[in-house]
Amino acid sequence: MMKCTVVAVFVIWTLGMVGGERPGGPALHWPATAALHAQQPAPQDEFVPIDELPPQDQLPAAPLLVTAYAFVVLALFAYLLSVARRLGGVQRDLERLESDLKRNGRA
Amino acid sequence: MPTWFTPAAVVCGLMFATSPFLIANAPYESTMGLVQKIFYVHLPSAWMFLLAAIVCGVASIRFLFRGDSRHDRLAWAAAELVVLFGLVTLVTGPLWARKAWGVWWQWDVRLTSSLIGWMVAVAYLLLRQYGGPGSDKLAAGLALFGMANVPFIYISVNYWRTIHPLTSVVPTLPTSFGLPLWFSAVTFFLCFLLLLRARVRLEEQRARLDALYLSVDA
Repeated sequence: MMKCTVVAVFVIWTLGMVGGERPGGPALHWPATAALHAQQPAPQDEFVPIDELPPQDQLPAAPLLVTAYAFVVLALFAYLLSVARRLGGVQRDLERLESDLKRNGRA
Repeated sequence: MPTWFTPAAVVCGLMFATSPFLIANAPYESTMGLVQKIFYVHLPSAWMFLLAAIVCGVASIRFLFRGDSRHDRLAWAAAELVVLFGLVTLVTGPLWARKAWGVWWQWDVRLTSSLIGWMVAVAYLLLRQYGGPGSDKLAAGLALFGMANVPFIYISVNYWRTIHPLTSVVPTLPTSFGLPLWFSAVTFFLCFLLLLRARVRLEEQRARLDALYLSVDA
């Protein structure tokens, strides 16, 4: 009876080691799972001010600021160019048409 | 172009060149830090966005009731500026929000109504471009909805729960924050006037060209 109990405990322990995780932690037989658990951050018990976060977790402000100002300048400049180009085209058409009309004596 | 156009353009250029120095010397806001400086272009462009929508709406009303094509030309020019300044507002806002709120966009009433106002202006321009004969009156009607949306955009933050700052922020700004803001606002206003005048001039020249073509055909 004692021998059967020892064998049963050994089998259950072996299956537990090979088959997967135990509730208390990762199975020793699965290094990938163990590594995955090791990568997870420790649970946080309180709020952490953003200034105290590690640098890789802080969102940098400078690229957002530079993008915003660059977009403003580019958008205004592109619109200005667009209006100037359209105005130049209409002006050229007007001058051509007026000179044609003068040449034909219909001005 | 009118005589004031060139001096005003020079002044506007100088102010645009000066404003980065004022903004750089403004103090950092305590909770948002560096990214808060987007405020100095975001807010003036939002004001010009709303102003352009009002100009477009008022000119459209006058065109609908009086039938004067000068008002129609002004409305068309202002609609383009609604799209331009609206785009600047809708791009710079999320860039600021990403850092300040942790999200690019929030479907709250201020942001959503601003997006709708911008889309109304885009619809106006598409209608003018591809609508064919009669689209001027139809677009003028659409511009009225764009203008009606303006007070809703402005007061929305005071009546609905939102994470967007309230309208009470600007009147209570300390001088160190207020000076660069108002300088930037005047610069944007001058830029708005110059672009509006140039765009109206384009429509005037197009109308002249159309009249000449008609006289040739007659």
